[in-house]
Amino acid sequence: MTEASPETLVIRRRRPMLGGASAQVGLLAIVAAFWFVFSSLAPGFLSSFNLFALGRSLAVDIVIGFSQMVVLATGGMNLAVGSIGVCAVMMSGFLLQDLGLPIPLGLAGALALGGVLGWMNGIAIVKTGVNAFIITLASASLFLGAMLILTKAVPYNALPPEVGAFGRLRLFGVVSPLLVIAVAIGAVLVVLYRFTSLGRQILAAGANPRAAAMSGVPVGRVIVISHVLSGVLAAAAGLMVIARLGAAMPATGGEEWLLPSFLGPVLGGTLLSGGSVAVIGTMLGAALVTTIRSGLLVLQIGNFWLQLFLGLILLFAVLVDRYRSVYAERRSVGPR
Amino acid sequence: MTTLTIESVSKAFPGVQALDGVSLDLRPGEIHALMGENGAGKSTLIKIITGLYRPDGGRVLLDGKPVEFGSPRDALAAGISAVHQERNLIPRFSVGENILLERLPTRSGLVDYDTINTEARRYLDLLDRGIDTRVEVRTLSVAQMQIVEIAKALSLEAKILLMDEPTASITEHETAALFALLKRLRADGVAIVFVSHKLEEVFAIADRVTVLRDGKNAAIGEPMADMTRDRLVSLMIGREERIAVLGERSADLSTTVLEARNLSTSVGHRDVDFALHRGEIVGLYGLVGAGRSELAKALLGGAAVTGGELRLAGKPVHIRDMHEALSKYRIGYISEDRKAEGLILMHSVRKNIAVTIWQKLANALGLIGTGAETRAVQPFVRRLEIRTPSLGQLVGNLSGGNQQKVSIAKWLAANAEILIVDEPTVGIDIKTKTDIHELLGEISRAGVSILLISSDMPEMVAVADRILVMHGFRIVGEVANDHHYETASKAIMARIHAVGDAKPAAVE
Amino acid sequence: MSGLLRRLLLVEWSGLAAAIVIGAVVLAFLSPNFLTEFNIYVMLRSFCVSLLVGFAQMVTLGVGQMNISVGALGGLVAISFGGMMEVLGLPIIVAVPLALAIGALGGLINGLLTERTGINGFIITLATASAFTGINLGITESIPFYNMPPALVAFGEQRFLAFPYLLIAPVIVAALLGLFFARTVPGRQLLAVGGNPQAADLSGISRGRVIVLAHVLSGGLAAVAAVLAVAQLGSAQPTIGADWLLLSFAAPIIGGAALTGGYISVLGTTFAVILIALIENGMVLAKVDPYWVQFLLGALILAAVWLNRWRAVRTGTG
Repeated sequence: MTEASPETLVIRRRRPMLGGASAQVGLLAIVAAFWFVFSSLAPGFLSSFNLFALGRSLAVDIVIGFSQMVVLATGGMNLAVGSIGVCAVMMSGFLLQDLGLPIPLGLAGALALGGVLGWMNGIAIVKTGVNAFIITLASASLFLGAMLILTKAVPYNALPPEVGAFGRLRLFGVVSPLLVIAVAIGAVLVVLYRFTSLGRQILAAGANPRAAAMSGVPVGRVIVISHVLSGVLAAAAGLMVIARLGAAMPATGGEEWLLPSFLGPVLGGTLLSGGSVAVIGTMLGAALVTTIRSGLLVLQIGNFWLQLFLGLILLFAVLVDRYRSVYAERRSVGPR
Repeated sequence: MTTLTIESVSKAFPGVQALDGVSLDLRPGEIHALMGENGAGKSTLIKIITGLYRPDGGRVLLDGKPVEFGSPRDALAAGISAVHQERNLIPRFSVGENILLERLPTRSGLVDYDTINTEARRYLDLLDRGIDTRVEVRTLSVAQMQIVEIAKALSLEAKILLMDEPTASITEHETAALFALLKRLRADGVAIVFVSHKLEEVFAIADRVTVLRDGKNAAIGEPMADMTRDRLVSLMIGREERIAVLGERSADLSTTVLEARNLSTSVGHRDVDFALHRGEIVGLYGLVGAGRSELAKALLGGAAVTGGELRLAGKPVHIRDMHEALSKYRIGYISEDRKAEGLILMHSVRKNIAVTIWQKLANALGLIGTGAETRAVQPFVRRLEIRTPSLGQLVGNLSGGNQQKVSIAKWLAANAEILIVDEPTVGIDIKTKTDIHELLGEISRAGVSILLISSDMPEMVAVADRILVMHGFRIVGEVANDHHYETASKAIMARIHAVGDAKPAAVE
Repeated sequence: MSGLLRRLLLVEWSGLAAAIVIGAVVLAFLSPNFLTEFNIYVMLRSFCVSLLVGFAQMVTLGVGQMNISVGALGGLVAISFGGMMEVLGLPIIVAVPLALAIGALGGLINGLLTERTGINGFIITLATASAFTGINLGITESIPFYNMPPALVAFGEQRFLAFPYLLIAPVIVAALLGLFFARTVPGRQLLAVGGNPQAADLSGISRGRVIVLAHVLSGGLAAVAAVLAVAQLGSAQPTIGADWLLLSFAAPIIGGAALTGGYISVLGTTFAVILIALIENGMVLAKVDPYWVQFLLGALILAAVWLNRWRAVRTGTG
């Protein structure tokens, strides 16, 4: 029996500023500011072609971010987002090109594979108690390797033409249906976390697994479901890339998705420690990243500096959030 | 020779005033006991002395000069060493290395393990020759780890030594060795603060005693020679603020809702037998380490049942986990560690109360409307008089008492029929304590059966209908409760002390 | 369980040693080319860089941290090293220490950011990894530096019997690291902080300084790996380090490192890298699809982690 230790109260006191509604408005303002800057420097930024390309890219980034976000909600992380994505890509290529299945079946098969791979991650984590970092680090390699062995890294270039056509489709001249799908997925996630029992249970399990378990939440089941969801979302992102490219390429995803999968959620206010998600924030975070990428491309600054920029932005964002929390903490407690 | 003076020190945390103008004066060459119930403020005071906390008010004086410790290192440097309640050892390091961690000896730049072993051996031999200084600490038993911690504190040759429940996990033999050691240190002029709730030990070894109650002094440095057992106990629990006995109790307690027969568990329980009836409040009393919380957790699937059986409403059951306990058997559990296990501090009051009923609140589409949760939760907030600015307030910001009410509310919301309540009023002020006791009485009258685990004797005597006494992971007796503190507490303590005969006493 | 078996199990690398022996025997059996001098030389060459990459992550794991920027920093050091020699004309003897300094500086940045801000090292190093890669690509625009000093290239190729000259570096580093963690005060303090940060704090160990030290070491070791990689390849490729991330975690973990910190094994990590090199070599000899390596690496990590847990439970130290 230990005495209550009141000091732990203080740490829990604040939600991160990045998560509040005001912070999301702030993020939106930053995105808008970048748009303003880029369009002033390069009028081509606002061309319908660029906006369309930006929208498509954004859709993929958003869904990749969601894939990571749903696992962050449980207090873990999913390093296999990219691997699951590329596995889904090649699976749909196989189903559509080699087996000649109708498109809905091909897509469904890819999503199902994503779910299964996610399920494997979830089960491994829950049954072995090993933390998600290691399990998904290993499974990322496992899945990627298996995919390469099975497909010999041969791309599928002869997919049904409707796939590529869908990717080139433009609504109102600028909006890609992919973006609409991404936003729709976001809406579903908002409903999940705000209006369903399952969503609340996931957040409870992520915030404090022990307390949640003690309150009757089936923590293990909820974690597995989150990983399944993550896998399906990663697969969905992969399918979007196929639509964009018009082909199923084994170079999709992989480690390339690692940073973007964190950028969206973290910039948007999802806590790394679990228990709190920001769906809109993730979309805005992805928007910031895509905007900058697109802007640098249009300004022909060279993709190279993009990496540097992204890293610095991430650092800056977490630093700002951290100092805001620390400042509030200091004000309320006094010197320690 | 060093004197340590605590002058009117205060410390507050959000929602609770842990210490309020507390004083203590420590003289060289004495063993000074620091006593008080759980939540009285002892650990907070220790943490201030050892530099983990800074006081909000008052001063700490060393040899008459005010000092301010910015960190534990400062306290160490000032000659204060401590053995804390929690283990502070590096699991993969050897015993010797742990003991000398502050000042690893080197020879030509490299760590000198020979010296480490001989030095550590010196201090360890004062307590237990059987522990090898070269083995990794993680292979030791809990008792042995505690010995290592004590040896470590001793090796610092501090002028002021604080010991927080040092005998909690060690054997009588080791305790005797420790006491002999402390007496020698006292003769050498060391000042020792000895925190313990074991009255016999305090009477055996302390020169003077300071008692804390609800964050304030109940006694400052009174000589043990003038102290009696009864007076010490009353100082700790505060006779004027006697906990009120519950009002009329349910007459009919005949339906058995839960029964344990010859239960043994994987964590060490043996032949546990007891029954809980509808509407009854059965107390489970025991000291630290008696195995009560472990029994509760075992009942809820936390540990394996290795023998005997558990029956609910007459039928044998096997509970896998808390989820099953709640959804299938309507059993709720209020954990003693409410911050880590009872509540989700970063979530709102609304969510914390509704957590047990989310699945029920969902409509046909599986959705829970924004109003539904609030409507479900509001009645309980009102009934329990939970003080919160809004339902959206983060639970972490509430006071301890209100937090506990939230923790209880969620089980009321879930319509639990059986409630296992573990140390419900630790660290909570007297007024809220009474509220919670009345609440327990009220819900038991409404038909909820309660198993109350507590080491708070006055609480137990005031609230429980009957009291099971637990010691060493067995039930060693049952006491019918006449709600009179003197007689009931004597009967209970007699059961615990009789255990030396290794025979559980008969029901009185 | 029997005392001997228990003691054997407690020695973390016993399983690995057994796997290596079995693997080597099997390979020798299956392929006549396995035990040739040239083949062993080839294995040892790939082993050199890999071991240092494993060490770079091992030191951060020891303190309970992670360094996601191991590969990115390595790549940056590699091209800086190459650029210093090709473009600035610096002699090898000057360029090498400068390259190591760059690595240490990168580690210092990681360490200071992590320690000062209290933000999870994972995010910090994820961000700096991106930044380092960006600087790398910004400088080189993906074009390698091809004109490396002949002495360096020769060093990277020459050998004594089956032992490449390159091997000197990892052997010395391994010995130094072993000594550091087992017998020096800063090394022991590092493991103390990883093993129980609160206890270390109460014992007067400066947690912040130790964490910074671990990251600086990590950066420095990544730099050594980068320098060796340039020597091995004969050119400073901006893609050096691109595939280091998985390996950097795999080696120490398979070698028995505790994931939460406080325990690492130089010997275990070495054996793990030997095993990995063995497997890769075996794949090549058996003309198996090289993609199997990815797959097996992931499987190996899972097996190692599972084995560690099983062992902890069986010997009662879990």
